[in-house]
Amino acid sequence: MLRLIKIESSKLFYKLKSWLGPMLIMILVLTAFPLSIDISQFDLEKFYFSIIVVSLLMTSFLATEGMFEEDFEDGSLEQEFLIEQDFYKVVLSKIFVYVCFIGVPIALIGAIFSVANGVAIESFVSVFLSLSLSNLLLFNLFAFGNALSINKGAMLGVLTSLPLALPVIILLGTAIRSIQYGNGFLEIISLMIGMGFLISAIMPLIISTALKTHID
Amino acid sequence: MKLISAQNISYKINEKMLFHNLSLEVYSGEGLHIKGGNGSGKSTLLKILLGITSLSKGLIEYKNQDLKISYLGHKNAIKNYLTPAQNLQLLFGNASLSNAFEWLEKLNLFQVQDELTANLSFGQQKKLALIRVLAQSSELIVLDEPFVGLDTAASDLLNSFFVQKLSEGTGLILTSHIQPSVECQVIELDKANA
Repeated sequence: MLRLIKIESSKLFYKLKSWLGPMLIMILVLTAFPLSIDISQFDLEKFYFSIIVVSLLMTSFLATEGMFEEDFEDGSLEQEFLIEQDFYKVVLSKIFVYVCFIGVPIALIGAIFSVANGVAIESFVSVFLSLSLSNLLLFNLFAFGNALSINKGAMLGVLTSLPLALPVIILLGTAIRSIQYGNGFLEIISLMIGMGFLISAIMPLIISTALKTHID
Repeated sequence: MKLISAQNISYKINEKMLFHNLSLEVYSGEGLHIKGGNGSGKSTLLKILLGITSLSKGLIEYKNQDLKISYLGHKNAIKNYLTPAQNLQLLFGNASLSNAFEWLEKLNLFQVQDELTANLSFGQQKKLALIRVLAQSSELIVLDEPFVGLDTAASDLLNSFFVQKLSEGTGLILTSHIQPSVECQVIELDKANA
């Protein structure tokens, strides 16, 4: 498992486009939005979260595009299958690395921008935690979409898995409201942590079956 | 010692029977050359033997579940956005990296080790991909068209590698339109399907 994490980290590190692109887009959207409206007429702290949520969805969508496609195209998936005998660990480590190196920094950017745009500094950790967990869920779901349509253009699969992201968005929205109103956050975040564990355990199993079908 | 055996294996794709009731065995120090025309199922047979592709019927047995296999198929499994040196680091870690770099030198790739793999020629990329097999110790080597794209010097090097590995007791299965210089049992898929 450690070997796989090391390989995936190195691959991602050199694929600048895959990790820097989503982060730059996140920064760009979150910076451009307050500049594009007359902030004196709006209570920015109240609806800035909506922009963060949409940006989060968009960037996780972008970050997971081509997650397995490259390994499938160049034959690395076959090689990993020979070593590991299935794809569970490969998928698990890939999602782990993507969440750690793209998902968490994106969540951090979101949390920093939320504070910079009027959200209370005390909420920073709660916002960061909610966004990180949402990214964990979104990355798992989009990885599934990516694996489904690996030989038909990964973007198509990610698009088809987009409806699956709606419950995550609803959950994140609820978490954000609970942060804003100061109640029920613990319950929501516990639910998100539970879902995060469950999806992180089950989704690699489903994805590995999909990948095996593709190389078969 | 028997490394791998296939008994009465059949494979059907899109209602077309690629091969039917095919049996083969590969022992330590023995080579198997799979021949056949384009589309006869050579690569598929290799993938079936490796467990990558599921067979329609039959049985495949390995010496043991941990049989160490080195494989290179049609796809090179190297990263175009990395340099050859980085690719080898990714493949071998620190364990047998020095051995891999020795092969890099033997294959005349040392001078391009810091160039992007995407900028290398087809033959150079193929050589780099072959290092995965050449620098790794394994009990069974499985290669799909290993000579394609190689110059004469590299082909000779590959042939002498086969001779050395077979003498050390490693098994070899390969598909090739080019006759390897080692003695192998031969399976002709066109005839097997007839």
